[in-house]
Amino acid sequence: MTGRMSPTIKIESIGGSLATQVAERSGASPMSCYQCAKCTGGCPVASGGDLKPHELVRLVQMDQHLAVLSSRFIWECTSCQTCTTRCPQKVDIAAMIDALRGMSRSAGAVAPSTAVPVFTDLFLDAVRKHGRVNELGLMVRFKLRTRRFFEDVDKAPMMLSKGKLPLLAREVAGKDERKAMFGRAAEGGAK
Amino acid sequence: MTYAFFPGCSLDGAARDFHRSTLAVTARLGLELPELKDWICCGSTAAHSTDPLLADALPAKSLSGAGGATVAVACAACYSRLKTANRHIAADAALRARVAQVVGRDYDGRTPVLHLLEILVRDIGLERIRAAIRSPLAGLKVACYYGCLLARPPEITGFDDPENPTLMDRLLETAGATPVEWPHKTECCGASFSITQPGIVLRLGNEILAMAQAAGADCISTACPLCQLNLDMRQKDIEAKSGRRYNLPVFYFTQLLGLAMGCPADELSLGSLVVEPAALLEARGIGR
Repeated sequence: MTGRMSPTIKIESIGGSLATQVAERSGASPMSCYQCAKCTGGCPVASGGDLKPHELVRLVQMDQHLAVLSSRFIWECTSCQTCTTRCPQKVDIAAMIDALRGMSRSAGAVAPSTAVPVFTDLFLDAVRKHGRVNELGLMVRFKLRTRRFFEDVDKAPMMLSKGKLPLLAREVAGKDERKAMFGRAAEGGAK
Repeated sequence: MTYAFFPGCSLDGAARDFHRSTLAVTARLGLELPELKDWICCGSTAAHSTDPLLADALPAKSLSGAGGATVAVACAACYSRLKTANRHIAADAALRARVAQVVGRDYDGRTPVLHLLEILVRDIGLERIRAAIRSPLAGLKVACYYGCLLARPPEITGFDDPENPTLMDRLLETAGATPVEWPHKTECCGASFSITQPGIVLRLGNEILAMAQAAGADCISTACPLCQLNLDMRQKDIEAKSGRRYNLPVFYFTQLLGLAMGCPADELSLGSLVVEPAALLEARGIGR
């Protein structure tokens, strides 16, 4: 670990509503964490993050909505499952972060530096429309949306020349059925 | 033996070489892999980080069409999502009912899902693999790289030891190669951050390549489309940023196994590799 000090936590309130919400959404048990930091030891993105995983869990325990939901870290998690696998208290931190991403979006608190929500929406839109994801189409739409025209300009020609980017997407039948399925999922499967 | 094959989106796109080499190898072993009918995307991280119900419903829709057959998966991310949905649905009757409402038909979460490595090593067995080897990969030192999602979390995947998996090592050892001991078998490559936050992928890829090189590997063997792309297609960028020189070919394990079985290079799509393997294979007398 670097010599960076842990962030000073200015207590907003102690009541555990954030921990309860996260537990309900994720099935994880944030209150079990005793701060051993084994998650942080194995986390591939902790060293560059604005939070480390054990700090994130502590902030959830301490009900620090803003610090958690506006953090860059929840968008830099690679979902590698190392924290979840190694936690001696079986806190499913990766699932917590999935839940926090949703809560961050609902609260309008998404860290401005991240393009992950844009990518996620385009990805799911492709699944809804086509049933499968055509990587070239997804990359083009992502670049248009984020205006990152000059990043990785060499990659598409490289992939085309290596036969890695078919220009035509394969479409799975049942588009209307899929759209209805996405709608029912958004309503929680109640209908 | 017959399995219903779930290739996943990448195997029709950036990982078509994984697809072709998989079919080349399994054909030689007499393994039939008809595609699972009307399979759809597993939802990947996009679904599980957005909507947990959708993340279980998308795999349920595909798996409920398997008619009880065991489903074979090549992509580590698809494998993880299918197995996670199975676990959730089989363990929770209320969730099963909600997923049934979303998908439009009931699914019990019990379709067996296996990765190709499990099928090759455990179902077919190393003796039958050994009998199919025509030109052993003698002298080839391989860093077997499993990535995140095959082995983690072990309660869900049941794949192998989560800290030190050995299925790929044992397979390629049977093919005559020498797997190296190294600590980064299950480190993360950064996955789809290759598109959204490439800086993270360049840093993580550098750590993996540096460790493979330090362990004395000639090349890396992968079992996941994103692992392969991030280490192969981005290797030049990683070298430029780190100031180091790797020149480590990054194969799919099916390509290496296919070479050992005597499959021709084009059947294995070796031409799709960005870091050219020709000089290494020539130096080891492989694939002649």
